[in-house]
Amino acid sequence: MRHDHRGSLIGSDLTRRDVFALAALGLVAGMPRSSFAAGPQGQLTWGIHVSLAPTWFDPAETPGLITPFMVLYALHDAMVKPMPGQPLAPSLAQSWSASEDGLSYDFALREGATFHNGDPVTAEDVKFSFERYRGTSHDLMKDRVAAVETPDPEHVRFQLKAPWPDFLTFYATATGAGWIVPKKYVEKVGEDGFKKAPIGAGPYKFVSFTPGVELVLEAFDQYWRKPPGVKRLVFKSIPEETTRLAALQRGEVDIVYSIRGELAEELRRTPGLTLKPVLSPAAFWVYYADQWDPKSPWYDERVRRAGSLAIDREAMNDAITLGYSKVTGSIIPYTFEFFWQPPLPTYDPDKAKQLLAEAGHPSGFDAGEFFCDSSYSNVAEALLDNFQAVGVRTKLRPLERAAFIEAYAHKKLKNLILGGSGAFGNAATRLETYVVKGGAYVYGSYPDIDALYQQQAAELNRKKRGEILDKMQQILAERTVYAPIWQLGFINGAGPRVGESGFGLIQDFAYTGPFEDITLKGS
Amino acid sequence: MSIQTELIGLPPRSPSRFASLRLGDFPLIPALILGGIAFVAIFANVLAPHNPEIGSLTARFRPPVWQTGGSTQYLLGTDQLGRDVLSRLIFGARVSVVVGFTAVIFAGVIGTVLGILSGYLGGWVDQAIMRVTDTWLAMPAVTFAIFLAAIVGPSMWNIVIILGLTYWTRYARVVRGEVLSLKEREFVRLAIVAGCSKWTIMRRHIMPNIINSAIVLGTLMLGVVIIAEATLSFLGIGVPPPQPAWGLMLSDGKQGLMVGRWWLTIFPGCCIMLMVLSANLLGDWLRVKLDPQLRQL
Amino acid sequence: MKRYIARRVSYCLLSLLLLSVTIFFFVRVTGDPATLLVEPGASEADIAAIHQQFGLDRPLWVQYGIFMVSLAHGDLGQSFYYRMPVMELYLSRLPNSLLLASVAMALSLLIGIPSGILASVRVGRFWDSAGKLFALLGLSLPSFWVGLVLILVFSVYLGWLPSSGSGSALHLIMPAFALGWYFAAAHMRLTRSSMLEVLGSEYVKLARLKGLPQSLVIAKHAFKNALIPVLTLAGINLVIMVNVAVVVEFVFAWPGIGRLLYEGVTFRDFPVVQGVVLMGGAMIVIVNLLVDILYAVIDPRIRLES
Repeated sequence: MRHDHRGSLIGSDLTRRDVFALAALGLVAGMPRSSFAAGPQGQLTWGIHVSLAPTWFDPAETPGLITPFMVLYALHDAMVKPMPGQPLAPSLAQSWSASEDGLSYDFALREGATFHNGDPVTAEDVKFSFERYRGTSHDLMKDRVAAVETPDPEHVRFQLKAPWPDFLTFYATATGAGWIVPKKYVEKVGEDGFKKAPIGAGPYKFVSFTPGVELVLEAFDQYWRKPPGVKRLVFKSIPEETTRLAALQRGEVDIVYSIRGELAEELRRTPGLTLKPVLSPAAFWVYYADQWDPKSPWYDERVRRAGSLAIDREAMNDAITLGYSKVTGSIIPYTFEFFWQPPLPTYDPDKAKQLLAEAGHPSGFDAGEFFCDSSYSNVAEALLDNFQAVGVRTKLRPLERAAFIEAYAHKKLKNLILGGSGAFGNAATRLETYVVKGGAYVYGSYPDIDALYQQQAAELNRKKRGEILDKMQQILAERTVYAPIWQLGFINGAGPRVGESGFGLIQDFAYTGPFEDITLKGS
Repeated sequence: MSIQTELIGLPPRSPSRFASLRLGDFPLIPALILGGIAFVAIFANVLAPHNPEIGSLTARFRPPVWQTGGSTQYLLGTDQLGRDVLSRLIFGARVSVVVGFTAVIFAGVIGTVLGILSGYLGGWVDQAIMRVTDTWLAMPAVTFAIFLAAIVGPSMWNIVIILGLTYWTRYARVVRGEVLSLKEREFVRLAIVAGCSKWTIMRRHIMPNIINSAIVLGTLMLGVVIIAEATLSFLGIGVPPPQPAWGLMLSDGKQGLMVGRWWLTIFPGCCIMLMVLSANLLGDWLRVKLDPQLRQL
Repeated sequence: MKRYIARRVSYCLLSLLLLSVTIFFFVRVTGDPATLLVEPGASEADIAAIHQQFGLDRPLWVQYGIFMVSLAHGDLGQSFYYRMPVMELYLSRLPNSLLLASVAMALSLLIGIPSGILASVRVGRFWDSAGKLFALLGLSLPSFWVGLVLILVFSVYLGWLPSSGSGSALHLIMPAFALGWYFAAAHMRLTRSSMLEVLGSEYVKLARLKGLPQSLVIAKHAFKNALIPVLTLAGINLVIMVNVAVVVEFVFAWPGIGRLLYEGVTFRDFPVVQGVVLMGGAMIVIVNLLVDILYAVIDPRIRLES
């Protein structure tokens, strides 16, 4: 019997065994403490794949990545945030409006919204939260926002220095600046105190935290939207994925994040466990880093196109992500604003060989090195095989994550790069970082695309701006600057005790949310 | 300490009280296994039925030939990318042998040289080298390896360098201890009186007597290095794929353990185990045969 | 004697100083933590702000100076990732690692000593070989693999033990075994050679001549004396174990120092790496010192010699 629901039985057996074992081993004090079985009614336990950091309790420190939001959605609330069916749902802000000239945004706060300590959410808190924000893009926000006004405790006005159509995108989704913390409390306990015992306006209250190990939260019944369905939440850090799945199978945890490859198959096969795939906005691609060098074979667009044709995306998808990834022809996620749909890439190794022959490489060529983040070595290896099959020979160079990111960003890589990004934003921000001259990961650029980018940045008319961005993406696809692969299917798992897991409710969100909607089975 | 008679210029001989041990009892099987592995490593190109680095996704996860779904084409089954496990094991022997032996020799050379210098010259040289050794030892090997990997990037030869630099300290300490006791021996004292230079003594008298310990330590370190390579692969900084290495196969196949694809880990695991076990048994026997006083090993 | 101790202590301090310099500059060569803490496409200003926040924008020797001064006050700095004092993090995890290492050490001695004794006495050729083989097997299998197999067999398949984390004695068994088995061989070897040496000694020969039964000879005299070097080695190995437990802690999600260090390295969290390595180094150096002093007390020749 591989896994069963002996949760409570194991609990009582262990107490006796505990004592016996303790006596036998002669150990007395100093046991590391943690909550053991996910047994008690009204509690759900998560097995997460990363180490919990206290910076996640503070929206002021959010980087542009999605990870801290797995906690932020539980502890805190925002003026406007992505919710089920609504990418910009009014939350702490009941309503908002933008002025005609685009220079100011007015927010009306929700009545009756309070923090965990009972204090009401006021305009002062909103202003305070904005001003203390120091996470990603904070200088951008500070540059564009002239002032934050609080005409009365229920209203906030943001004055911009110049019209900025992306203001709400940045305020509500890309940054933590719109997530509200209590001014009085933060000032009283200080920054460190706040990280040790955070207070927010979200559906769950902070109970305890063991750094990197475990986080315990309790339901905040006065949450404005609804009282949460589960009384207690426990988040445990289990970085090794086989161990994580084992914990789910044994009922030690109820929900797990990030189960890859064969383990996902195993999850699917185990009765009582449910596979919960979520299409993440993390796009993956092969970057032709040498395409601007006339001496490189990749200079010829036909060769780049051949590379893209050689990739059997469907087979890789089935093999590596059980088919839950979404093949794409763009480095920009489908759900981003201003996304332009390119033709879907096809798998045609014969055509690829033909193109290579036309370009002067009838028997293929030595393409040098292929760099990737070592956690995605399996994808890279499959790509390597694909390239080899059409004659493009390359050597894999997996780099440890940190080393890879740094080398990629400092332009130290060459030849082929397996890259990807899960950063927030819209088509324009993605293009800026990865295509346009001056971008962090741009190894070379095309003047016409650069010119178009400058144009759209100044364009106020949304429709016209969209057209320009479409054109940019079109050129990108025609020139095969990248060989996009897919949007990653992020596979999670839920155990038998879970009713509504919270997976897939919020678009583009890989984790569970909103937390107040999560329920136990049978409740 | 028992009384030993020694002829000047000859290394000390084993005292008779150990004669009860079967010194002629050569561990045949371990030696054959190691020899076999080396043989496979050398002739991998000829022996392997398939290309170990290229597979086809349609042939993924075939079980070994004696199970249902297996075929004679892939005797020991295939892995997640459809690559033949047997071929990967055969070529993996090459990596294990090369990485293992080279790293051990690399570490051995550095450690022995430093150990001799430290032990014989004494004084501030000794102190300096010992401080460096202490410092190095205090740094956890795995951390050190991760650092080095971050700086030089992973490749088979870099792994050799990393492992060599991580493990030389074991040699240094042991060799130094040996040298310290050797220094007091008659034949060394006589050489000094005879006017030999320090370097000559180190080269002609100390070194040959140290070699035994170094070799024994080497066979024992071989096992340590192979295991270390497997651990580095598990952490993602070992010999880079798609080059087959047993440690990497073990790490890649760990998911397979849970899904019942036992052949992905059991075979490489057995290979590692056989190689390390053989090296250790051989090392133990060598230790007894060459110099039973090597207690610290 | 005092001079000897003083000299040894000064060597310790020198080693630690060297270690601090080495680890300090070494981590800084491995990369820039800022790139990991921001998302792709962060502006130069964002990165510069992070550098400033962590004091990374100052010249190296200034950073080192600040580090050493804080160290003198017992402050290991602030973790980049956790934004809390490294000393606090370290001390909260250290008991877990020590616990794991102690139990692992106990297990390894439990396996190592009996098999070593058997191997030296050769009670029955089968049992001596079996014991030796079992100990050596621990040396021949990577601990992460042993850990994973243990989880699969005892946790998932048999359901006897919890798979990961900490919180009860049962959580300890598998990780302790995975960690301890590796060291069992070293203890076995040392026990064996120790026993052999003692068994060959004049005292034991005399006892045998007197007609005392073999088992009594072993139990009373040989065993006790043979144990001394083994226990000394165990003491040193204990500290090494704490440092080496990285992989086991990772596989079992054990909240110890090893995992802290691994995360520190992965996230380029300089203060954490510096702190853990230094503290670990200090522990090793101190234990070595105590052992050396102990030996010097026991054997006067040693301190007169140097």
